Amino acid sequence: MKVISPQGEHIELMTVNVGPSHPATHGTLRILAALDGENIAACVTEIGYLHRGFEKMIEQGTYQQVLPYTDRLNYCSAMMNNIGFCKAVEGMFSVTVPERCIVVRVILSELSRIIDHMVCVCTNLVDLGALTNFWYFFNTREEVYKIWEKLCGARLTNTVTRIGGMYRDVYPDFANDVTEVLKKIESSVTEVRGLIEHNKIFIDRTKDICVVSAADAISWGWTGPCLRASGVDRDLRKDEPYYGYQDYQFDTVIGTSGDTFDRIMVRIYEMIESVSITRQALAKLKPGPINSTDARLSLPSRDQVYHDMEALINSFKLIYEGVRPPPGESYDATEAANGELGYLIVSDGGTNPYRIKVRPPCFTQFAAYADMLEGGMLADVAASLGSINIIAGELDR
Amino acid sequence: MIASHAPVPHGPIQPGLGALQLEEHLRDRFAMVRDPRDLTGLTMVVAPERLREAIKYLRDAENLKFAMLLDVVGIDYLSFPDHRESRFAVVYLLKSLDFRHRLSLKVWVDEERPAVPSVHELYKSANWAEREVWDQYGIVFTDHPNLKRLLNHHEFIGHALRKDYPCQKRQKLSVNDMMIDQLEARLKSRGYTLLEHGEQHPGSLITRPSAVPHTGAPPPPGGATGARP
Repeated sequence: MKVISPQGEHIELMTVNVGPSHPATHGTLRILAALDGENIAACVTEIGYLHRGFEKMIEQGTYQQVLPYTDRLNYCSAMMNNIGFCKAVEGMFSVTVPERCIVVRVILSELSRIIDHMVCVCTNLVDLGALTNFWYFFNTREEVYKIWEKLCGARLTNTVTRIGGMYRDVYPDFANDVTEVLKKIESSVTEVRGLIEHNKIFIDRTKDICVVSAADAISWGWTGPCLRASGVDRDLRKDEPYYGYQDYQFDTVIGTSGDTFDRIMVRIYEMIESVSITRQALAKLKPGPINSTDARLSLPSRDQVYHDMEALINSFKLIYEGVRPPPGESYDATEAANGELGYLIVSDGGTNPYRIKVRPPCFTQFAAYADMLEGGMLADVAASLGSINIIAGELDR
Repeated sequence: MIASHAPVPHGPIQPGLGALQLEEHLRDRFAMVRDPRDLTGLTMVVAPERLREAIKYLRDAENLKFAMLLDVVGIDYLSFPDHRESRFAVVYLLKSLDFRHRLSLKVWVDEERPAVPSVHELYKSANWAEREVWDQYGIVFTDHPNLKRLLNHHEFIGHALRKDYPCQKRQKLSVNDMMIDQLEARLKSRGYTLLEHGEQHPGSLITRPSAVPHTGAPPPPGGATGARP
């Protein structure tokens, strides 16, 4: 491609296509770059290779049937999608779930945040050629998945919450298992930090690479760790606290320069904060009911079903038709591992959702990717994609 | 590229305006009406011709500072019971980083002329979000710099999230989007002058001139409404 550069030189650019299926694309996405030597003069990105029509499919079933689909949005922290969706629907009924359910959801959220950050950080490091960290993190992640398995039988796609509560209460040894896994998480985070924080190769590859200023990050609609890495101290858990996050002692981690290094380090330090939140939540885990008793959401107990006609009818209606939120619209968001995960739900009063729009956090982050890369080098494509944590499941829906 | 506007918030988030104050303020200034459908937050309905002006004001006013456009959402009310307004709505989810307030702006969009002004100059996030709404609902965002499909294949006919698009309908889609036209447009916007058009490179199976010269003009009217299934 023959062009005249902005400096007035006649040069020839080479176009290079990366993806959609490439080990470094973390899913399926495509980058078309025009190269001047090794530098990216301009590039465009394409998504949609994993578009399954999520928002069309979920209009065909009941609200409960949406839940398994939400697992497949950000599949690195599936439980947080479950929790966000259930919280949004419960909000339409103005129902608050019992205290024990809230605490369990906080524990599951924070552990999910940790394993999500682990995948993000260590796969990014693998893209840079640092494989050791991968084993340290994936061994610990496996321990968390063992807890998931004991909790609900599933590992990756859990469908662990229900509208109005949980699939079931946690198993008796749950608190001990979590306490043990937290120690392992701390030690693996320390190990990985030791390997990378002052590592010259890592710093050279990530410092001042793909810098996004705070103003740009806000305009791009960035949320979560990526926004905080650009130096903006905003976190939904602090700013619009839900599930009692205002009662937990934790710091928001913010970066200074908004480069790839900051985006990785913010996640590493957030894991330590999440460990602290989980410990505090474990101390709050008191016996009690796990499901709401609101008849519009929760199944009646077996005892009631066998002895009370109304409860029997209610049970049938909830199984066959599901919940029926009042007609109207509602937007609700939680701080997921990647940023603000929002659900805009439109209900016509029927059993099926009329329209659900998911606001996936990595959509806005990937929209900025072409701008981030331009002016940098081709090697930065792989080095920085992991740091914005693209999960094609929620990006393409 | 668009210059970024947002001053970076410092310190903890402030309480901000309550829903009632916000509603009164916007009603007086932009003749907006509160949408009673919103169950938990505040949705205000604004006329499409005042949308850009209103969003710019919401972004910049000292006591509002809606610095972030979280998402742009299309809704098709075709089969909504007892619906009297226009068929489509576009909802803009706005959030402030200085104040703890949120706002949704709703614009009603006619079926015959589904067009809304683009706000890509005000928020960078609008570019892709509007492309997605165009892709799924066929709503045109006038003056959008690159209104192309985002999630669906470029040969896809119709708009999948419209209520009259059958869920099980299948389409045969064959050739990849070369994206050379988009790349050329980006090079131009970065100050390069192109000396030749079209491209032959190892990633493409065929050599062809760029199919659609990039002009920035909205798609033709036929494409605007989209072919009905």
